[in-house]
Amino acid sequence: MTKMQDAQNRLRETVKDLFAQQKVDLVVGFEAGSLPLRTRVCFLTSADEADRLVWNAFCTNNPAVYIPRLFQRPASPREEYKPPKLGIVAKACDARAVHKLLEEHQAPRENVTIIGMPCRGMACRDKVVIQAGDEVVEAVESTEGAVEIKTRGGASHRFELQDLLQQACLDCPQAAPEHVDVQIEGASRRDTTRRYEGLKNFEAMSADQRWEYFRHELSKCIRCYACRQVCPTCYCKTCFADMAKPRWTGAGDGLSDVMFYHIGRLMHQAGRCVECDACTRACPVGIDLKTFTRKLGKDVERLFDYVPGLRPDEAPLLCAFEDDDTEEFVTDG
Amino acid sequence: MEKGIIGKSELAKLVEAMAADATCLGPVKDGQDTVLAELGPDTELSFDYANFRLPVKRLFFPQSEVTCVLRDGQLVALPPPDEKTVLFGVRPCDAQALPYLTKIFSDEKYEDPYYLKRRENAVIVSLACHTPCSTCFCTSLGGSPAGRAGCDILAFDLGHELLLEAETEKGKALLAAHEALFAAPTDAQVTAAAEQGAAAEASMAKIETDGITEKADQAFDAPLWEEIAARCVACGVCTYLCPTCHCFGFADEQVGNRTQRVKCQDACMFPLFTLEASGHNPRTTQGQRLRQRIMHKFSYTVKNVGEIFCVGCGRCVLYCPVNIDLREIIEEVRK
Repeated sequence: MTKMQDAQNRLRETVKDLFAQQKVDLVVGFEAGSLPLRTRVCFLTSADEADRLVWNAFCTNNPAVYIPRLFQRPASPREEYKPPKLGIVAKACDARAVHKLLEEHQAPRENVTIIGMPCRGMACRDKVVIQAGDEVVEAVESTEGAVEIKTRGGASHRFELQDLLQQACLDCPQAAPEHVDVQIEGASRRDTTRRYEGLKNFEAMSADQRWEYFRHELSKCIRCYACRQVCPTCYCKTCFADMAKPRWTGAGDGLSDVMFYHIGRLMHQAGRCVECDACTRACPVGIDLKTFTRKLGKDVERLFDYVPGLRPDEAPLLCAFEDDDTEEFVTDG
Repeated sequence: MEKGIIGKSELAKLVEAMAADATCLGPVKDGQDTVLAELGPDTELSFDYANFRLPVKRLFFPQSEVTCVLRDGQLVALPPPDEKTVLFGVRPCDAQALPYLTKIFSDEKYEDPYYLKRRENAVIVSLACHTPCSTCFCTSLGGSPAGRAGCDILAFDLGHELLLEAETEKGKALLAAHEALFAAPTDAQVTAAAEQGAAAEASMAKIETDGITEKADQAFDAPLWEEIAARCVACGVCTYLCPTCHCFGFADEQVGNRTQRVKCQDACMFPLFTLEASGHNPRTTQGQRLRQRIMHKFSYTVKNVGEIFCVGCGRCVLYCPVNIDLREIIEEVRK
């Protein structure tokens, strides 16, 4: 049995226990997907469903995105509010997102059980396909640290997971999920020394070059809003981009409107984005959103010594104040 | 002229000749992807691709276009563009979708001049697929990797050369206009193309779709919609990448001192889709929205215009961020 399967079995047993002890009545985790290199999020309502759960290098989705919806209050005040007792399978990035959402009152703390997984990082599908050079028709995480694939053309390849890691995993500020309620035993990644290495190219660009790169990437945008919809911390009932009164930005794919939407979303994410890269994975036209979110995250860390979701007891950035905060920047001059 | 052979190395000459009176677009490599892009005199065509990420419908039904402007208090309709185009490298699934869209954008009562003019001005040169992806399922919906529906010319990639076969008068006219660049195909070449098409068809897994309309109607109240939609994040990827999806809305926008009415693509998956001005939304759950999408494609369009609005291109399967798989939905509905 591989170590990954150990963790998977421990997860299944833990979930069964949580149901048995009635600590949860709904568990969000990962199950097998219908495509190679993919899993999908599943919603379990009883212990006998726990064996659907999987844990491997393809568990890339961020399940925290479902929290605002699951804890939504009914439209009518006469309807009883019955929030779930939620168990959520979480990687480090997912746990940071959960904490951000708890801080923003999207769920009562006592209703959420964070199940921290031993995360060694997830495989980037694009990297696999590029290295395989052909459509991947089968993918298995075999012994620890290896991904074995078969291509459409009949070739077999074995890659080390460390060579396939998503940028989000390379940049992860945590060696393992933290501030969780239950920790599934197992080895997590560890190397947090490569944080922001991926930004070197972008940071070496001049302002004009950066603008050209931003313009080039965003010119692909088709306003499908996949980036916004998969983002755990984008949950406004009516997004500014969808408003008609006032119309903050046009609805179409004109470049100016597209940029305003993305700049707006990025700015709304400052101090809130947990850099899980769900937006980048979801984008159907391959926009390099992660470079922009990461740069914003680095600026926030540098300016405010703040990493969203890392220290849940910290006051949130940009939306907390003290009565004796300086007002010189307002009153001076 | 009905059939012609042209060497891949001669294509630049053909493009140059066609570019004299039309904008030519074709498959061009862009990083790891291949996109349908404008062809210049030195643009290298790519033949190493499965399909464009974005459906070809966007050339006729763009994501957004200005349809009217307010001028001196009057709403003035803008004329549709008059540009002639030649689209090269369109896959048969995308081509098959175009006659379906024409049925929507043109009927006894209404005509959409913006879609129709663009379609009229375009010559579609399809490129048959020699290696369909594992996510393709056109043959399950009446299509084929060498399908001829919806195109003006069907081309086959025979390695060093292409065999072009005219399917419409427009296609014949294009081949005739550039006759000098083509050679008559040999029997061997015609046979090679037919065999390539047959082999591509045979390589594809089929999903059962018989009776899908009746089954979908019967499944209206089934719990499967909410179950699958539990993970749907309500983005527009499936809709915007679908060759047959056609819902649109209008937005009135102020740009400087100009007011314009913009026709934009819309998606029934968005929560705002049926949101009424009163604040009431008849579809409150994502399950209801997912059901609407599936019913529209597999039942309502069959009743309205006689076609299942799916060509099996597989984009929704490949690009759904949460791995909602239409093939599984079809199978579930048929149970």
